Amino acid sequence: MTETPKQKVWGRWVVLAAFVLGLFLFTGFFGIGLAIPVVMPAVVLPTEPLTAPISTPFGEFFLSGTLVALLFADLVIIAIAIGISSAVKKGKLILTGIIGGVEALLEMLHGMTEGTAGKWTKQIFPWFATITLIVMIANWTEMLPGVETIGKLVKEEGGHYAVQAVGPFLNVVEPAEGEHGGYHLFPYVRVVSTDLNFTVALALVAVVMIQYFGVKSQGANYFSKFWATGTLFSKPIFGVIDFGVGLLEIVSEFSKVLSFAFRLFGNIFAGSVLLFVIGSLVPVFAQSIFYLLEFFVGAIQAFVFGLLAMTFMAQATQGHGGEHHEEAHA
Amino acid sequence: MEALGINGSFLLVQIVNLIIVYVVVSKWIVGPIISMLEKRRETIAQGIEDARVASDARANAEKEAEKIVAEAQAKASQVVREATERATAAAADVKAAAAAEASKAREKALAGVEEERSRILGDLRGQVAALSIAATQKLVGEALDEKRQHTLIAEFFTGVKAGKIVVLEDAKLSGEDAEITSALPLTSSEQESAKKEVLGKTGAQAVTFKVDPSILGGLVIKVGDKVVDGSVSGKLDGLRSNLR
Amino acid sequence: MDANAAKLIGAGLAMIGAIGAGAGIGIVASGAVQAMGRNPDATGTIQTNMILGIAFAEAVAIYCLVVALLILFVF
Repeated sequence: MTETPKQKVWGRWVVLAAFVLGLFLFTGFFGIGLAIPVVMPAVVLPTEPLTAPISTPFGEFFLSGTLVALLFADLVIIAIAIGISSAVKKGKLILTGIIGGVEALLEMLHGMTEGTAGKWTKQIFPWFATITLIVMIANWTEMLPGVETIGKLVKEEGGHYAVQAVGPFLNVVEPAEGEHGGYHLFPYVRVVSTDLNFTVALALVAVVMIQYFGVKSQGANYFSKFWATGTLFSKPIFGVIDFGVGLLEIVSEFSKVLSFAFRLFGNIFAGSVLLFVIGSLVPVFAQSIFYLLEFFVGAIQAFVFGLLAMTFMAQATQGHGGEHHEEAHA
Repeated sequence: MEALGINGSFLLVQIVNLIIVYVVVSKWIVGPIISMLEKRRETIAQGIEDARVASDARANAEKEAEKIVAEAQAKASQVVREATERATAAAADVKAAAAAEASKAREKALAGVEEERSRILGDLRGQVAALSIAATQKLVGEALDEKRQHTLIAEFFTGVKAGKIVVLEDAKLSGEDAEITSALPLTSSEQESAKKEVLGKTGAQAVTFKVDPSILGGLVIKVGDKVVDGSVSGKLDGLRSNLR
Repeated sequence: MDANAAKLIGAGLAMIGAIGAGAGIGIVASGAVQAMGRNPDATGTIQTNMILGIAFAEAVAIYCLVVALLILFVF
């Protein structure tokens, strides 16, 4: 908004240059382009190994593209933390730049938490902030160029690609001729939200913390929600119904984990598949519009994940009566 | 699970990472931001308080100023009123003094004029008489001696005959003030006798003398609200109405 | 019919569930827009709740998508 006209002109030239470069690289435009074929990447659910697997008691461990992205997100969060804490230590009351944006976001979230959680705001808000920040940054790594498209080529049986050498260190893939090409592409960086481990871990932590807040606020009373034997004998018919509802509550707690995990995973994974498809159909320019959409979706999903976790935590602290079993549908 | 890529070691790594991130966020992002929000809220509240105090002070100052202005206005109006009163009083004094002075001067002037007129008419009287005698002598031929003539003329002009006022012979008059009007100024002896006569006959207390040449001769005596017209002009009028 | 063809058909069928999510999101958005039109002051709250509702409705479509992806790439 505060750009001078000169900067605007500069940005326009960059866009035009990128457009021309795209035309040059990916099309045979007037016979002068390189006409590098744009390949629809193979869609693989599990994250791909970059190093040789190490055996651990819990399963194989290896460095994967999603871990790189996770490290990147961690670094960004640490940078934001350093920026904010040093700025606040200096006694600033108004933050500027990126940390100013983070501060504005968190202030908004804090207001919402205060409206929902009341006196538990102080305990619940850090979780809301953590989940929203990490998920948002993880989702937005999708925007960076090269993510999920630059990777290690591994020759293996059943691979999807053939390879065309461009330079000493640079190869591009092209579609395999037959059913079995020779190579796999293992991206160096893959959006961490497309790894179910990340989303399931988030969902598990969120649901465990929901139970934690329930127990902390109501003590053992909290579990009467699940094991509703209080009215079983006093009101025969409704008691049985209450007991059944209690059992359903247990199921809903597990379904919370699944819905949390798969909502985020599905949105972001589908988004990256969408980008692949659009990019392979129209190599130039069309993808930009979908990048915009994915930017929006990434922010919304991060916000929704955090907001739902916060709402469930606040509900757990408030005890019976307020539950409408949204979690069962979510 | 394997096909979905869910793997115990990764899950553990992610959970540990998430807890680390939670610690980082809650300690170095949320904590400072909450404290900053708190501080900002305090600052804003302080600012609002300050503004309120300032506005109070301003309101007080305005009230004070209004009071001062009102007092000043009251004082000013009082001063103006006093000054006006004083000026009015002074003006009234001056006017009264001027009026008194003027009336005194006018009275003096009137008196002077009256005196002068009386004197001039008195001077004229002798000449007129002499002229009349001379004229009549020419007409009737020195039948009358000069002294007799003078007496007759004096009687004509003054209506006083041998110390008696002719017109009062059979008039019944009474009143407080008497005014005697003659065509020419009466001599002081005539005045004395006329005064005595009038006072004796009418019971009036004071007599004033007036000179009015338009009555030609004789006397007009006004006592109270009645007038006895013994003047020549009155007689001529009566004659004129009889002849008509 | 070979297994691949069945997979493709199954994935396509799984995505039928997105119809419900689409209708649901439309209803949520229409209700939210009406509410904002009636009470523009409450726009912020309504927007938040609308996004929440959309997220819930969208979750159904996402489940369909996940199932479709599982059918295509996992099994």
